[in-house]
Amino acid sequence: MNAAEASPAAVTAPASGDVGLVVPRDFVTTEPFTFESGQTLPGFTLRYETYGRLNAAGDNAVLICHALSGDHHCAGRHTAADRKPGWWDNLIGPGKAVDTDKFFVLCANVPGGCQGSSGPSSPDPATGRPHGIAFPFVTIRDMVRAQKRWLDSLGVNKLFALLGGSMGGMQALQFGIEYPGFCARLVLMAMTARESAQAIAFNEVGRQAIMQDPAWNGGNYQKDGGPRVGLAIARMMAHITYVSDASMDRKFGRKKKAGAAGDAYTFDGQFEVESYLKHQGESFINRFDANSYLYITRAIDHFDLAAAYGSLEAAFAHVEARSLVLGFTSDWLFPPSQSRAIALALLRAGKRASYAELDTDLGHDSFLLESPQLYDLVRGFLV
Amino acid sequence: MTKPAAKRTVDMQILADWVEPRSRVLDLGCGRGALLDSLVQSKDIFAIGVDLDSAKITACVRLGLTAYQGDMLEFMRAFPDGHFDRVICSRTLEEVADPAAVIAEALRVGRAVTVGFVNHGYWKNRLATLLHGRKPRNAVYTGEWFESRPSNPVSVADFEHFCATKRYRIIRHALLGGDWKSRCALAPNFFAGYALYDLAQ
Repeated sequence: MNAAEASPAAVTAPASGDVGLVVPRDFVTTEPFTFESGQTLPGFTLRYETYGRLNAAGDNAVLICHALSGDHHCAGRHTAADRKPGWWDNLIGPGKAVDTDKFFVLCANVPGGCQGSSGPSSPDPATGRPHGIAFPFVTIRDMVRAQKRWLDSLGVNKLFALLGGSMGGMQALQFGIEYPGFCARLVLMAMTARESAQAIAFNEVGRQAIMQDPAWNGGNYQKDGGPRVGLAIARMMAHITYVSDASMDRKFGRKKKAGAAGDAYTFDGQFEVESYLKHQGESFINRFDANSYLYITRAIDHFDLAAAYGSLEAAFAHVEARSLVLGFTSDWLFPPSQSRAIALALLRAGKRASYAELDTDLGHDSFLLESPQLYDLVRGFLV
Repeated sequence: MTKPAAKRTVDMQILADWVEPRSRVLDLGCGRGALLDSLVQSKDIFAIGVDLDSAKITACVRLGLTAYQGDMLEFMRAFPDGHFDRVICSRTLEEVADPAAVIAEALRVGRAVTVGFVNHGYWKNRLATLLHGRKPRNAVYTGEWFESRPSNPVSVADFEHFCATKRYRIIRHALLGGDWKSRCALAPNFFAGYALYDLAQ
């Protein structure tokens, strides 16, 4: 388990193992940025958070890369009243596996996102209205190049480690390829070097749900308006792909909603799993932008390292980082075989890459689990 | 009674003598990484370990070693011929389902293959079986049969017969006595406690 209790800093921290209250900040650049598509922006903003302190040598920085629906808020709370901490709070904090007493931990919302970084919902400075789908197409490599500019501005000379699950893992690996000398360690979880047809298919159903909603209106809609039904359906469907048959059955089984007529022949929600998904969809539309969903799923679909570099071995030829690749047995979206393929290709390319497989039944989202084994691996690797 | 861990210093020393400095070494069934760690320290090798057990992989990662959790045959099939300078099977062969396939594949991906095993033909094992008619129990074979992993004991004579049948070249070998320290020169299938072989195609 974590050593928060034994950590001297835990005495002064607001709560044991907690980074406490955090304030997001903005990196704003007015240097033009050219996307892989050739489209440009006159500048961009990345919203980010940091925890811990950069040491004098500037060599204790750990970058967290977020997944599709994640953001820069990965640890701590914005206000004392926040119901939930950041999305990876179980991993990041004083004495935790990513120990903020030792490391300067950073995380930025990706470009194309909707939590404060430049994206389709942020205003186009030229018109004052949201970019909508006039925003440049974003790739994983664009996300990485934009974040590098931000890290440079903070005086981070080298990353001690990068950690990411799912699309976060794609960014971490792309970082290691694009800036070999800048990245010392990569922790790549529940990811793939190229999406399978099945994974692209799921993303496409989500996009169609959004674009077929009349309120999408070709990507032109007011903030807080837009294709709320389509986005909710996209999220409901995607959520199923993040968990597993076993975990859903354990959580809901065939349990009926309180007050639902047991055998009523109606299409009203009857099963608990139905209300759960509905809740997932509804809470998502209040925090996520439908156009961002289109952009980011597209970026994930386009990610294909073997195609981009000729082969995986060629992609990894200049990587200098040591890697820890983690697969999860019940992940059927990016199954362990796809993580193994990355580790094996890194090894064939003569790189140092370890692979471990965690036996969990929670599906793709297993990388977010409170798992002592996961903590041990990460803590053991970050020395 | 000497614990196997303490008994292992000499066989690890012999392996270290056989391993070329800075070479690329694959350890099949690497366990918690004790052997690889010592080889990295003494020979500065590029080391990769393979094991099925996730707790063992975690222990290797903690030591800063490169380790892969998975099936050793599947792992080796992912590499081209001669990718490794040396493949080590140290006390591993007895526990794999298809030892011949493992050695054949190791000889494909490795320029040399080092095999180390406990000699099941050691006289005390024979005596124990003869007197008690039961599975030998000692520092090596610690558990009752019903709580032990499946194992496929091999003797010096068995192994040499196997190499002759497959026409594998034995480059060198080291045979240790019952203490796993002294060299055993006489009737090794009877007196050797531990055997090490270096093979080539």
